[in-house]
Amino acid sequence: MAPIYNTSRHLKALYISPLFVALVCLAFCSRLSRMKAASICTNSQTGCHFLSLANLFDRVIHHSARMHGISNDLHSEFELYFLPSKNRVSRNCHTSTILTPNGKENAQRIAREELTEVILKLLLAWRDPLWHFHQNMARHHKFNNLSSNKSLEMSEMVHELRKGVQKVAEKMQMLGIISNSLGTLGSREALLASDSPEWRLMNDYNLLYCFRRDSNKIQNYLKILKCRIVPEHGC
Amino acid sequence: MRLEMSSNRQQRLCVAMMRNVGGVIVLSLLLVFVQLAAGESFSPPGTPKNIICRSPEKETFTCWWEPGSDGGLPTTYALYYRKENSDTVYECPDYKTAGKNSCFFNKNDTSIWVTYNITVVATNALGRAFSDPVEIDVVYIVMPNPPEEVTVTVIEDTNWPFLRVSWEPPEKADTRSGWITLIYELRIKLENEDEWEVHPAGQQKVFNIFSLRPDSTYHVQVRCKPDHGFWSEWSGTTFVKVPDYFPRERSMWILIAVFAAFIILTFTFIWLSYMKIHNLKHYVLPPVPGPKIKGFDKKALKNGKFEDIFSSLVVSDFPPTTSNYEDFIVENLEVFVPEEQELIMEDSKDLQDDSIKSENSTCDNDSGRGSCDSHTLLIDKGGGDKEEALQSDQEGSQDERVPTSPEEVMEEDLLACCDEKNSPDISEKVKFTPSLISPLPRYNLMNQPNPPEIGKKHCLSDSLLNPDSLPSYFTQPPSTKNDFRSNPWECNFNHKQHPLHPQTTGKEHLQVQNEISWVHVDRTEASLGVQAPSVRSTEYVEVQRVSGGNMVLLHPVSAGQENSGTMSHQTEHYSRVKTVNNDSGLLLLQKESTGEEMGICLSEEEVESRATSNGYTASITPTSEKPMVGINSTLPILDDRMASGYVDTATMFGLPTY
Repeated sequence: MAPIYNTSRHLKALYISPLFVALVCLAFCSRLSRMKAASICTNSQTGCHFLSLANLFDRVIHHSARMHGISNDLHSEFELYFLPSKNRVSRNCHTSTILTPNGKENAQRIAREELTEVILKLLLAWRDPLWHFHQNMARHHKFNNLSSNKSLEMSEMVHELRKGVQKVAEKMQMLGIISNSLGTLGSREALLASDSPEWRLMNDYNLLYCFRRDSNKIQNYLKILKCRIVPEHGC
Repeated sequence: MRLEMSSNRQQRLCVAMMRNVGGVIVLSLLLVFVQLAAGESFSPPGTPKNIICRSPEKETFTCWWEPGSDGGLPTTYALYYRKENSDTVYECPDYKTAGKNSCFFNKNDTSIWVTYNITVVATNALGRAFSDPVEIDVVYIVMPNPPEEVTVTVIEDTNWPFLRVSWEPPEKADTRSGWITLIYELRIKLENEDEWEVHPAGQQKVFNIFSLRPDSTYHVQVRCKPDHGFWSEWSGTTFVKVPDYFPRERSMWILIAVFAAFIILTFTFIWLSYMKIHNLKHYVLPPVPGPKIKGFDKKALKNGKFEDIFSSLVVSDFPPTTSNYEDFIVENLEVFVPEEQELIMEDSKDLQDDSIKSENSTCDNDSGRGSCDSHTLLIDKGGGDKEEALQSDQEGSQDERVPTSPEEVMEEDLLACCDEKNSPDISEKVKFTPSLISPLPRYNLMNQPNPPEIGKKHCLSDSLLNPDSLPSYFTQPPSTKNDFRSNPWECNFNHKQHPLHPQTTGKEHLQVQNEISWVHVDRTEASLGVQAPSVRSTEYVEVQRVSGGNMVLLHPVSAGQENSGTMSHQTEHYSRVKTVNNDSGLLLLQKESTGEEMGICLSEEEVESRATSNGYTASITPTSEKPMVGINSTLPILDDRMASGYVDTATMFGLPTY
């Protein structure tokens, strides 16, 4: 009888231990899933993520404001020291191909997705030109140290701002604020714009002028977007 | 003819007139031409200057120009513009809305982020003038209207009222949609001042201003600016009157109070540090003066040198002459040893009392409460021991007093034999004059527990007072078993107020000696009766040794004999008799040495007796310098008191008790 008893005991252990393990696993998994669930907010929970989206918007807007400030400084410095004379007239920004709303009504009428797309296009279009501009400045010592630092900062900011706006777009897509048709369009058109050789023809002054305007556009569009989506914070 | 002549004349006149008129006309024309040529000249218009374009809300904009000279001719101005990268020239759509020499672009004509190339042309009859082109981008020419609805309110919730300025953005600027972001700035000044105080306010629309001057009027203005643009004009002045409030004085008083407290604290600390701690302690907790009775010196008792002990009790030149009275105080015990002594002694056992206690009628004024209390403590502890202790205390106190009052009798009979036995009937009181001893509370007698086993005897002093014998001493019959050594031990006992024996007046010696101290023993009549007649002449007794059984061996000494050796004349010896045993042995009072004798000066004659089996020790420390002795009363408190004359509360508790 004893061996049977032992085997039964062993059998019991055999059955029980995996059960025990399973229970433990379940507990852990539930915890994990709960934690994951905590990171996802559905649309119904209004107080959940909107605040964070507003924070994201604020950060992005501040970033764009700083970028615009730097571009403004560089442009006025360039205008002061290098006094372009007649080149002004022919000003053709390479981003003119990107259709951007040029008035308040137009900006408010345009869809959120389009507006976001426009922003992303602009940011992408300026990534390379600014980088080359900085290289140019540094190589030819056309600027003093402070200005060359600014140009470097400017080019980096464009890069980071684009990532930030992409995150905002993703969050909005996640929250269902905008549709998911965003991704492909923006990249294609932007690539086209950036590949256009026009920007290589631009002289420095024109480039700075164009970028100053475009950064202003970006900042303004972001503000409009924010006040359309999360209007309760500082609009 | 005449007609012909008149017509000829008329014709000639007409021609002359015609000529005149023509001349006049020519002259006038010439004049006119001359005038014209000299004063104004017609010319093409001057170029318009200073073209300024502003947009109030980034949706429309207006351009103003400054016309040049008009060349004397009516001049018209036209504004033409071209948009960026386009050669199409447009003319200003609206010259009227914005006033003279202006051009207004409405929303439809306004494009943001587009460069406008604007030129103003002045045209008159003689020519045209083109102004310099101006390139503008509407984004950078925004100059909003001043903020609206500027309200200033005085908030008076707290003691410190402040101003709250609030405003609204200009109506045209659309900040809600985020199209324009405005930052604000306000300025404020007192009514009669010229300088404004400018406060940037960021993007908020509310601002608080503190630190106002009470009972004055302020002017407040606000203006705004887009993040890239021009400042607006200052808004209209808003007037606000700040009421009269009272806060400053309060804060001033608070400051004054704080400083005063600080100063007081510093002074207190300085004073405290100046005064030593010791002094401070005495200042705050004054020690209670203790009885000034000297007793046995504990150490002397400990050492077991009976000679020294007893020598301290002995006054060398006894009987003392009056002149010597001041020199020392001697405690004398009267030992009465009649035939009936034993009987008496036995009876005395029955008799209650033990020690003579001083009446408690009044406490000595000089000694503190402690001295009064000490007796009680004494009594509580050991019964008869206490009494003796009391007596010794009293003696001690007496001794202490003596130097201070030389006229007082030195010899005092303080010690009475202590009867440990309780005889509730008998109460013995030792009465001392207030000057010397503080009387003890009476009740102590009653409460004594008298352990009969101690076997102490009454002091026969009660019965002693022999009016005939001046010096009354306790003597022991030679028949006592005890060996008598050469140590004389004298005890004087001043007996007073024996009810049966009007001895208070009887003993001259006593009186002389005892002006101050009286020992009053109340005994039952029986005892008195028994004892009274048994008073005999007393004689000196010499203490031979202290036996283990609480016995002091005495041997009679011839009167007048003095041991010079062991006695120190200069010293005061104190002892208290504890018991007298059946054999008429006299037991010195003693007490346990507590080791806390303070202020005890030990001279070479200090005698200490070893603790007996009962732990009794008697020590005599002759102290000539100090009136106080270290005896040791059963009260540990007394020690300290004697030592210092005061009871130090701190050390009180440290002393052992029985």
